[in-house]
Amino acid sequence: MGAVASIGHRISGILLVSALPFAVFLLERSLAGDDAFSSLAQKIQSPVGRLALAVVAWASAQHLFAGIRHLLMDVGIGSSLSAGRASAYAALSAAALVAAAALLV
Amino acid sequence: MRIFSGQRAFVLQRISALVLLACIAGIALRLAIGPQVTFTQWRTWIAQPLGASALLLVAAALFIHAWVGTRDVVLDYVQPLALRLTVLTIVATGLTVLAAWTGFIVLTHAL
Amino acid sequence: MRFRIYRFDPDRHAKPQWQDYEVRLAASDVMVLDALVVLKAQDDSIAFRRSCREGVCGSDAMNINGLNALACITRLADLSEPVTLAPLPSFPVIRDLVVDMTQFFAHYHAIKPYMMNDEPPPERERLQSPEERDRLNGLYECILCACCTSFCPSSWWNPTKFLGPAALLQAQRFIVDNRDHAAPQRLEFLDDVYKLYRCRTIMNCTQVCPKGLNPAQAIERIKIELLRRSA
Repeated sequence: MGAVASIGHRISGILLVSALPFAVFLLERSLAGDDAFSSLAQKIQSPVGRLALAVVAWASAQHLFAGIRHLLMDVGIGSSLSAGRASAYAALSAAALVAAAALLV
Repeated sequence: MRIFSGQRAFVLQRISALVLLACIAGIALRLAIGPQVTFTQWRTWIAQPLGASALLLVAAALFIHAWVGTRDVVLDYVQPLALRLTVLTIVATGLTVLAAWTGFIVLTHAL
Repeated sequence: MRFRIYRFDPDRHAKPQWQDYEVRLAASDVMVLDALVVLKAQDDSIAFRRSCREGVCGSDAMNINGLNALACITRLADLSEPVTLAPLPSFPVIRDLVVDMTQFFAHYHAIKPYMMNDEPPPERERLQSPEERDRLNGLYECILCACCTSFCPSSWWNPTKFLGPAALLQAQRFIVDNRDHAAPQRLEFLDDVYKLYRCRTIMNCTQVCPKGLNPAQAIERIKIELLRRSA
C-alpha cells in the first residue's frame, strides 16, 4: 500500500510539472483584464474545465497528502510498517475525496 | 555539504515543500471561507508589495521543488549519459523560463 | 497443491519459462521449503538455495506469490494456489530460483561493515551500557537475505549506484554503535545523490523483511543524522 501511495506521489508530481506552463499562462490571463478574468471563470465551469480541475485537484491533493506523510516520517512519525500503511491509505482516500468534491461541487 | 551532495537536494525539497504547504493552506482557506474573489480584488492584491512578494515566494518555492522532484525522476529512469544531460538541460531551461515569465507577470502588475 | 515455478537454465534454453507442478503434501509439510523438497524429489532439476530451514541464514529468500520471503518460514496454508515461486526480482538469475548476489554483497562491503576504532584495545572488552547496546536493536538482526533490496524500486532503477536498504541498514548499525569511532566518515561516504538519497521511503523493504526489521526507518534516521551534523 505504501508503494501505491509512493507511485501516486510520483505520477501526480509529473502531472503537476507538466501542467506548470499552462498554470503560468492562466496566471497571466487572470491578470490581463476584467473580461479575461470572467471568461476564465466561465471556462472553468464548463464540463471540460471541471474535468481538468478535478484532475489537477486530485494530483495536487495526492501530492500534498503523500508529501505531508513523507514530512511526518522525516520527523519519525509513522515510520512503523502499520503506521506507514495506514497513512498511505489515508493519503490516497483523501486525495480521491478532493477529486470527487472538485468534480461535483 | 558538498556541491553534488544529496543532502542539499533533500533539504531544499523539504524547505520548499513547507513553504508551499503554508501558502496552499492559506490560499485554500481564503478561497473556501472568504467571499468570491473578483478581478479587482485579485489585481489590487498583486499590486501591493506584500501580495507580490508572497506570490514570488510561492513561485520560487514551486520551481525549486519542481526541479528537485523532476531531477529525481530523470536520475531514476534515464540512464544513458548523453540522453540524461539533454533531458535535464531541457527541464532546467523550461523551468527557468517559466520562473522568469512568472516573475515578469507579477512585477509588471506590481510596479 | 499446485505450484508454478520460474525455470531458467542458461546452459539449455535462452528464455526463462513458468512450469506448473502438482504435488501431494503430507501434514508435516508446513512451509514452502518443505514443498520445495517434495518438488525436488519429483523433478530433480529444480535449483534453489537452502540451509538452516529456520529463518536465520537467509539462503532461501525468493519471491513467493509476488512478495519476497524466506521459503522456510512461509506457511503454505497462508498462500493462494497456484503458489508462484520466482527468484528475487531484478537480481541476475543463475538458474531457476538461484540468483547472483555479487552486487548485493559489493554494496554491503562498500559501507565497511566492521568496527573502526583506533584506540588501543582495553584489557577485557570495549564497554557498552545497556542503553548503548539497545541502540543496535532492529539493526544487528539482519541476516542479509536480500528480500528488502531486491524489492526496492530505487534498487531496481539504480542497482549499481544505490546501496539498497540492507547495506544502508548495516551502515546505520555501525553509525550508532558507540564502540565504532568512524561515524563521521561513514556519514560522509553516504552523503551523495545516489548511495543514500535515491531512497524515496517507498517502504517496500520494511513490508517484506522476514525478520521484521525496518530499513526505511533506519535510512530516515541516517538522513536526519546527516542533517543534524550539517546544520
